Amino acid sequence: MIKKILAGYDGSEPAKKAFEFALDMAAKYGAAFTVLSVVRPPEPPEAVEMEAILEQATEHYQQLFADLKVAADAAQVPMKCEVRVGHPAEQIIHYANEIGADVIVLGHRGRSMIAKWLLGSISRRVVSYAKSTVIITR
Amino acid sequence: MSETWFLAALWLGLALVATLLSIWLRIATALSEIVVGTVAQLAIGALIGGAALGTDQSWVRFLSGTGAIVLTFLAGAELDPIVFREKWRAAAGIGLVSFLAPFLGCTALAYYGLHWDRQASWLAGVAMSTTSVAVVYAVMLEFGLNTTIFGKTVLAACFITDLGTVLALGMLFAPFTFRTGIFVGASVLVFAVLPFITPRFFRRYGDRPSELEAKYLLLILFGMGGLAAWADSEAVLPAYLTGMVLAGTVGKDHVLIRRLRTLTFGLLTPFYFIRAGSFVSVPALIAAPGVLFLLLAGKMATKFAVHPVAKYFGQSQREGMYTTLLMSTGLTFGSIAALFGLSHHLIDTRQYSLLVAAVILSAVVPTLIANAFYLPRHLLRAPVKTETTAAVAATDSSEGAQT
Repeated sequence: MIKKILAGYDGSEPAKKAFEFALDMAAKYGAAFTVLSVVRPPEPPEAVEMEAILEQATEHYQQLFADLKVAADAAQVPMKCEVRVGHPAEQIIHYANEIGADVIVLGHRGRSMIAKWLLGSISRRVVSYAKSTVIITR
Repeated sequence: MSETWFLAALWLGLALVATLLSIWLRIATALSEIVVGTVAQLAIGALIGGAALGTDQSWVRFLSGTGAIVLTFLAGAELDPIVFREKWRAAAGIGLVSFLAPFLGCTALAYYGLHWDRQASWLAGVAMSTTSVAVVYAVMLEFGLNTTIFGKTVLAACFITDLGTVLALGMLFAPFTFRTGIFVGASVLVFAVLPFITPRFFRRYGDRPSELEAKYLLLILFGMGGLAAWADSEAVLPAYLTGMVLAGTVGKDHVLIRRLRTLTFGLLTPFYFIRAGSFVSVPALIAAPGVLFLLLAGKMATKFAVHPVAKYFGQSQREGMYTTLLMSTGLTFGSIAALFGLSHHLIDTRQYSLLVAAVILSAVVPTLIANAFYLPRHLLRAPVKTETTAAVAATDSSEGAQT
């Protein structure tokens, strides 16, 4: 039943927990496993700075993916990593639809009310709009 | 000399505060630097005196001007020359519409609606005509359109729009004397030979710790900027064109571009944007919120000329609105135009404040509206209302969930 698992990853501790949970699930179900990181441009994106942020963030995630790859190899789970640009919730949902993910795994991240107001609750949006089953790890 | 160091420390301190704000609020650094400049001038001016920031000191003006020049050069260097050569007709069409509609519309609004004088009205048109390439690029990436012909064409069109802005800024207020002729002639010559000389020169002598490339580029930018200023034009015009003609060579050298970015963001642009913000008069804004609203509405309304073009290229109604709204943004070139107007006495402090505030709002408001009402909903399905998801959502809302 669970053939494709997608984990959202931003390098934070909750995201690491979500990754470990998703990796364990992928190993147990023998599911295809994909990790998605989303680069969020500043508001509003500005000339030159935007390109710099994209380059820096993409490189940053590629380095993080190298560490995840070690864990995935150890668990003998083939893993695909992807970096997208935009609002994290939209991109996670869009990408999950694109690959036909059965399960989306995200980390729970307790943020202040101000941060939530400014950034929006990503997991809440994903839970509300995703077609797939969504698991929020704690 | 100690006074200079202390003043430099104050500016870099403000730049650091602005950067932290941009990180915490996830806003563009340019935006936070303008706001910090305005607040700092207000606060420091009230406590110590209006001249405490030293905005008119020659070295502050030099760093600020260099920031605008190098930033504009880097913006021009982001052009994709291959796509531009392939799609220049369509790009020129969309870009010209995107430039001319707000340029003429906002000029008319300022002249007839706000009764500004002719020079100030033209300047207002120029400041409000810009489009942010970065915003459109971000939208294209979100849509996944950056690799499509449509996406590349619209992106190339944005360069045409901004080229229209810098050309208007550089030529509209020039006195057209023999100096203008020399400037134009020298520019044509330099821009014709630069793409041939530069890569060969860099291959022969570049890639050394002595940073020959940076010195060479600064020489060109300062030289052409000096010539532009001598001809009573604007230094960002040759800087942007230099960036565009070198986009296929220097623009592809990521290591060099990164080094230039470090110089630009680390030292130069904070002086430019904080200085630009420091000239904003908050009382002038409070006194005329209606004018501010009119300028913003004028820019957004006239940019709707882009909407039929976006639809013509296959975007749906909603996507077309999203793209159109985001093409109404434009912070960098708008603020450069406004500061040009203030420093050349084309506009007064009140008009400058209103234009900069409208430019800032034009960078924020269309994005907020676009995200709130015209989000590319094809990425999202209708909310799935099941007991399980509702329960998780309820838990999240009470404790705050983020990935």
